Amino acid sequence: MLPSPPETRASLIVRLRDVADVAAWDEFMTIYGPLVYRLAIRQGLQAVDAEDVVQQVFIAVAQSVHQWLDRPQPNRFRSWLLTIARNIAIKTLTRRPHGGVGLGGERGWNDLAAPDGDWSSQFDFEYRQEVYRWAAEQVQNTVASNTWKAFQLTHIEGVSIAAAAERLGMSIGNVYIARSRVVNRLRELAKQFEVSQ
Amino acid sequence: MIRTCASYSDDQLRQLLLGNDDGPTGSVDHLAECSNCQARLERLAADAEQWSEIRDSLQLERDFEPGFELPLENNRSRSPNKDRDHWLRHATWTESMAKSLLSPASHPEMLGRIGRYDVERLIGSGGMGVVFKAYDTELNRPVAIKLLAPYLAGSGSARNRFAREARAAAAVVDDHVVPIHNVETGNEQDNGQPFLVMKFIPGGSLQQRIDREGPLELCEILRIGMQAAKGLAAAHAQGLIHRDVKPSNILLDEGVDRALITDFGLARTTDDASLTRSGFHPGTPHYMSPEQVRGEAIDARSDLFGLGCVMYAMCTGHPPFRSETSYAVLRRITDDTPRSICETNALIPEWIERIVMKLLAKSREARYSSAFEVYTLLEKCLAHVQQPTIVPLPVELQQKPQRRLWLPVLAIASIGIALTCGVWWTQPRPVGNADTATVVSTETVSTESVLQWESDLPEMESLRRDFVPVEKKSTKLWDIEPKQ
Ligand SMILES: [Zn+2]
Repeated sequence: MLPSPPETRASLIVRLRDVADVAAWDEFMTIYGPLVYRLAIRQGLQAVDAEDVVQQVFIAVAQSVHQWLDRPQPNRFRSWLLTIARNIAIKTLTRRPHGGVGLGGERGWNDLAAPDGDWSSQFDFEYRQEVYRWAAEQVQNTVASNTWKAFQLTHIEGVSIAAAAERLGMSIGNVYIARSRVVNRLRELAKQFEVSQ
Repeated sequence: MIRTCASYSDDQLRQLLLGNDDGPTGSVDHLAECSNCQARLERLAADAEQWSEIRDSLQLERDFEPGFELPLENNRSRSPNKDRDHWLRHATWTESMAKSLLSPASHPEMLGRIGRYDVERLIGSGGMGVVFKAYDTELNRPVAIKLLAPYLAGSGSARNRFAREARAAAAVVDDHVVPIHNVETGNEQDNGQPFLVMKFIPGGSLQQRIDREGPLELCEILRIGMQAAKGLAAAHAQGLIHRDVKPSNILLDEGVDRALITDFGLARTTDDASLTRSGFHPGTPHYMSPEQVRGEAIDARSDLFGLGCVMYAMCTGHPPFRSETSYAVLRRITDDTPRSICETNALIPEWIERIVMKLLAKSREARYSSAFEVYTLLEKCLAHVQQPTIVPLPVELQQKPQRRLWLPVLAIASIGIALTCGVWWTQPRPVGNADTATVVSTETVSTESVLQWESDLPEMESLRRDFVPVEKKSTKLWDIEPKQ
């Protein structure tokens, strides 16, 4: 009964091709906005400039997402976005006379030289976190509260199955089912964002 | 590969995973004992890596510190959640971003320029675009200019939609709809982007007023509700549904106490094929109708639900359906009955609550049939509140008389209410409306009008607050049973 069940939703990135698809763009911004913002902050930019970077990145994505989609073998969307975001953040940083928050302008170039592996694994990690966080919010609001708690206690907080069953007044079998059901749903929701690609 | 167990096949386990929250019908005790079934159930839900990714992601959400080191030196102590919240809060436009959409300013005190308009400042932003206050240098008047968000400006479909919105909204001419002067296309310096020039309404939005003042006074609730209903009726008459009626889309013209509906950003004409598509916005679902939430077709009565939410917010200071997350709000919109207005704000008469609750009916059929009907009803209600001794409450809102009341005190109290309302009344009508009210003395009160008051016991509650001295004179007056 809630809008656009993710299972039937076209891949978010494909939908971005239609820049008038406000819902897709809102979702995209919810997931990627904080990531790009954080990346910019970590580059040493001030909040206002980091927000500016986010907007510029979105503009760049809107302008060129169809080109990316039309490539015969597109690389990962996230890597592509990361490249754009880094370039824009660094450009913004070096454009500032004092290089953002009291860091010398050279600092930005040092960071540019940092190994790509670190950057992209950090970005991947945060991306995954953002997606699962978002998914958790959706799931938590659509399952019974005990179902969610069974998952939360046993999988996140490390409570044993038996202890959780007792605490929640559920049978052990139902705790197994509940936690798996939540994880299944989280995975389904995250699928469209290709977290494990 | 895990071998299967005779008790549950993979398919049966899958059913358990997909089943609803009522749980499986039979006993699941076997799962407590059988490690084989436990392992297969887990594996069917997600692979081992995903299980651990989920844990890592959500664990860090609760507590960022343990065990994880950011690869970069600076900002190690910075919580990603703090940044995330910051970004989500400020995901709207800042002036510096908005400035990038404009040509350089002609005066240093201006933000920039577009076409023949000097842009003064950013006054609002939303999913589709930004709104500036600007000055029309040719016609010498302030205007509001709406620009498409830059990520939309490059798209033909977005431009078309923008133009369609502009055309549709421009066709609606009513005192309570923000007039659209014209639609223009910027020159090359402005990247040729289309923009909308609207009348500038000084005074801010209803949302800002509610944020500032909390619940509004009875007369103001009725006046703004009535005017918003009239604006909607005019739009509906043009086949236009607003779809996003909420306090921030109602502007209050400060000079003349006039409410105007604005931002037909989501508005679609009723013959638009995409009408059934949900206008889902994660940020602000509070004023969505149940049929919008369900993704069903909507019609003019969906705007009445929005109007009900707006009136509820004016009565209580907050939207009827609140929750921590957007999804929970949406769920409440379809499933829950909002908390009683009178319980939250004792100054609100019970008959207003009945109007609002009817607007908030989950089923369109149970709401009023049109915005025009709501407009005329609220107009009568306002007249009644302003002149209770002369204008009766509309018949459909009357309830059976319950108890005799002490007539003269009531009449005085009624006049008091009329006086407070008279001050706010700005519809075209004889000046000195308040004077008319003052000449109504206790002697001239007719029995009918007093009976009228008797029928509205909850109003006593509001009188009690406003007229403490009256209460002191007659403790008996307030000695009535509370309403059911
Ligand atoms: Zn088994």
